[in-house]
Parts: sequence; structure tokens; C-alpha cells
Amino acid sequence: MRTSFVFSEVVTGLRRNVTMTIAMILTTAISLFLLGVGLLVVNMVGKMQDDYLGKLEVAVMLTNDISVNDKDCTQQPCSSLRSQLETTSGVETVVYENRDKGYERFKKVFESQPELAKLARPEAIPAMFRVKLEDAQRSDVIVQAFTGKAGVKKVDDQREDLDRLFGFLNGVRDAALALALLQAFAALMLISNTIQVSAFTRRTEVGIMRLVGATRWYTQLPFLIEAVVAGVIGAVASIGLLVVTKLFLLNRVLGELFAANIIPEVSMVEILFLSPILVGVAIAISALTGYVTLRLYVRL
Amino acid sequence: MIRLEHVSKVYKSSARPALDNVSVEMDKGEFVFLIGPSGSGKSTFLRLLLREEVPSKGRVYVSNFDVAKMSRRRVPRLRQSIGCVFQDFRLLTNKTVAENVAFALEVIGKPRNTIVKVVPEVLQLVGLDGKADRMPHELSGGEQQRVAIARAFVNRPLVLLADEPTGNLDPDTSQDIMLLLERINRTGTTVLMATHDHSIVDSMRRRVVELDHGRIIRDDARGVYGVGR
Ligand SMILES: Nc1ncnc2c1ncn2[C@@H]1O[C@H](COP(=O)(O)OP(=O)(O)OP(=O)(O)O)[C@@H](O)[C@H]1O
Ligand SMILES: [Mg+2]
Repeated sequence: MRTSFVFSEVVTGLRRNVTMTIAMILTTAISLFLLGVGLLVVNMVGKMQDDYLGKLEVAVMLTNDISVNDKDCTQQPCSSLRSQLETTSGVETVVYENRDKGYERFKKVFESQPELAKLARPEAIPAMFRVKLEDAQRSDVIVQAFTGKAGVKKVDDQREDLDRLFGFLNGVRDAALALALLQAFAALMLISNTIQVSAFTRRTEVGIMRLVGATRWYTQLPFLIEAVVAGVIGAVASIGLLVVTKLFLLNRVLGELFAANIIPEVSMVEILFLSPILVGVAIAISALTGYVTLRLYVRL
Repeated sequence: MIRLEHVSKVYKSSARPALDNVSVEMDKGEFVFLIGPSGSGKSTFLRLLLREEVPSKGRVYVSNFDVAKMSRRRVPRLRQSIGCVFQDFRLLTNKTVAENVAFALEVIGKPRNTIVKVVPEVLQLVGLDGKADRMPHELSGGEQQRVAIARAFVNRPLVLLADEPTGNLDPDTSQDIMLLLERINRTGTTVLMATHDHSIVDSMRRRVVELDHGRIIRDDARGVYGVGR
């Protein structure tokens, strides 16, 4: 096999059909970009689940009466609530936090925003039990058992908030993957079409090749490589797009949340790890589409 | 070298067979004219040898290839041992003379140093040395046909098939092309040429196989075009 021959055929092929080539590259790039976004979100949700589930707590907030009068949880109904919580199966620790301590913690959380911290009065913060579970997923046991009990104002399950966030992220993931699939379909048809056009414009050449005894492989390889080259360029463009999105969109909009470790940062390393996957997907799809097109639609 | 045994070819779209129970044999080194009126099956005959078509019935042998039965994978091998020339030259208009000839070797994977050596040789053989870097549109019809012959012959085929190679050329130029084909024949290559051209056939006095409605109606060792007509 003469590689220089195949290479020059590929270059002329791509140049002859510039508009189609560009369309093919762009569609592939967008499709792979969306795939990349989907995979990054999957990654992010995974990390957040690991991070947060260990820290999740159920807050059993107590009535104003207790908040005012029972600083150490020695009186009824606070002390019996505590022992009930401690004996509930699956509960790991129970910490009583009275109003003063709660206020301290509140101030600490909002340290960086003193205006906000000033707005809150200690009177607005209830005393509470902070309950940590062995399995954070099973928080509804506590919610069901303690909601409405004497002395309990409200049971606040952090998992619900987190579930809402995960729900949102999973929605983003699904939308990205669905769009990626749709775009992949468009890319696929463009690749197939480009090869057919390409084969048609080169039919004289290919006819002569077959006549002088070139193998099917030799006549078809340039078309196949053409598709794969466009696919790889598309993949590289999609990686570029991901990097640009990180630098100019994510870092600006979510930078503070990344810094505060509230959302795990989408790092360059992650994008780097993703690149071979995207390139691989591009090669696989374009080669397969090319091969099937040549077999089914192009009589060479 | 070429043998057909009871070969019939019926195209899907027509009821009448293009070739009808044809049996014929041509030896190595022969020069054979295939003549007959339009539609008599000459091109079909040549296409069967190249395995561009498969016969509906019968067997086709070229050298030691069982052409009708061989697997598709082996077809390139067959075609590498057959050279082909057509009425319409079939040159690549965007390549030079030398590139057109080299193309035939490149696409069958011949190494570059072989190509660089044999292309000038064959261009000299066909009388085109000095015109290697011309584009096809800068050549006369006869010169273009020489390029096509060079391309067909550059890989030293066992058989050269020519389908009305002089069909687009004036008589003098045609005569030059025939001299070239004779020279190629003298190297031991079997030449089979389909033609309408009376004067060429008459002047060459070679073997003539005449087809009519897909049947062989004449096979003369030293024939002329139209006996008894
Ligand atoms: N691809 C095809 N499909 C259907 N019929 C065909 C095909 N090719 C040739 N034929 C028919 O087969 C018969 C023989 O055709 P062929 O081309 O072999 O004739 P020919 O002797 O080469 O004619 P000419 O001298 O005009 O080139 C004709 O009747 C033609 O119409
Ligand atoms: Mg014909």
C-alpha cells in the first residue's frame, strides 16, 4: 500500500468538497461536545454524591418553647425526643444544637457576607437536633417518625434539597446526551452523503483503478480515511469547545461555587481524560458509517 | 490464453442474448480481430474476459484464471494481467501523461522506484518520450490513445484488450496506432481488438472472429473484413 498515494487522494477529496467537509466537521464537533458535557455531568454528579452523602444530616427543628427555655435539653419533651432519636435504628449520631450555637454557626457560614449575617436575629433560629444517619438515603424514616411530634416544629431533610439539585443535573445530562444523539445522527447522514458525493465525483478515477486491477480495499480506503480524518478534526474541535466553555463560561459563572467547594470543579484534567474517548467515538462512528455507506450505496 | 466454452450472456433488461453459445480459443501471442455489426456482442465478449460481467451460461478462461467462477477477491489479480484500451481513451484529465501511466501502477501498490523506472520506458515504447509532462488536453487524439496504450501495457499484461481503439481517430493516425499494437503483440502479448474498421482489418491480414447477433459466424486465420459482402 502506497501511503503517499492514499494521503494525497484524501487531501484532494476533502478539499474538493470544502462546504460538505466543514458541515461534517461542525456537526461532529457539536455532537461530541454535547456528549462531553453529558459525560462531565455524570462525573460531577458522581463526585457530589460521594462528597455530600457522607455529610448529609436531618435537622429535627424544635418549637420556640424549647428553643427559649431548654438550653441543654434536660427537660421534657426535648430529652425524650433525644433518646427516641438515639434509639432509632440507623441513626449514627445525634447532636443537640441550642439557639445560641445555631446562631454562631449561622454567622460563621455567612462570614463573608456580613450584611446577610446581620439580618438574622437569634430569635429566628430554632434549637435542633442534627441527626446523622448510617445511610443518608434512608432519611425518610426520621422524617416520618418525628414530623408532628410534640416539641417538633419541622423536620428538615437535606437530602431532599440535594435530590432536587441532582434532579436538575441529571436533567442537564439527559438533555445533553439526547441532543448529542440527535446531532450524531445528523453527522452520520452527512458523512454518508459526503462519501457518496465524493465517490460520484471520483467515479472516473475509481473506474480506472478497478480496471487496472486495484483492490476494492485500495479504491475505498481514501473515502474511508476522508471520513475518519473529518471525524477526528471534529473531535479535536469538540475538545477545544469544551475547554473554551470551561474557561469562559463555567469559570465565570460558577467560579465562586468551585472555589468554595460547593460544586466539584470541572477540571482540565477531566477534559483531558475525556479527549481520547471523544476521539475514539469519532473514529468509530465515521469509520463505521463510511464502511457501511461504501458497502450499501456505492458500487465501486 | 483465452478460451470460451459454450458461453451465453443474457442481460437482465433484454430478451435476446448478447452472446449465444460462443466457443472460441485464442493462443498466447496471437493477434485477433473481433468484428461484427453494432450490437453483435463484441464489447460484451471483452467485458466477460475482464469479469465486468459474468456469463449466464458457459465457462471463460483467461491464462489460468477460471474467470466466471473465481471469487470477487481474486478479480484484481485477473485485471492486473489484462491491459485495456477504449475508444474514448479514459485518461484522467487532471494528471499529466506520466502521471496517468504511473497511476495504473500506484493503485496496484507498485513501489515508487519501479514506477520511476518503467514509466519512461513505456512512454518511449509508445513514442511519447518528451511529452511526459503534457496534460491530456494538450495532446492529439492519437497521442492520447498512445497514453492509454502505455497505461494498459506498463504492467506488462499477458493480454491486451482493445475495444474500437481507432474509433475516434483518422485513418493515418489509426494506422500508427495499429503499428504500435503490432509492436506490443511482438513482445508476446496476446492482442484482442474489437473493431468496425474495414481497412485496418483488411490491411493487417490477421485472425478474424466475426460475431453476428451474439454468434460466431466466421473464424478466419488470415481474414479480411467483409468476405462475400
Ligand atoms: N449493460 C447492458 N444491459 C442490457 N443490454 C446490454 C448491455 N450492454 C449491451 N447490451 C445489449 O447487448 C447486445 C450486445 O451489445 P454490445 O455492446 O456487446 O455490442 P457491440 O458489438 O459492442 O456493439 P458496438 O459495435 O455498437 O459497440 C446489444 O443488443 C446491447 O443492446
Ligand atoms: Mg461495443
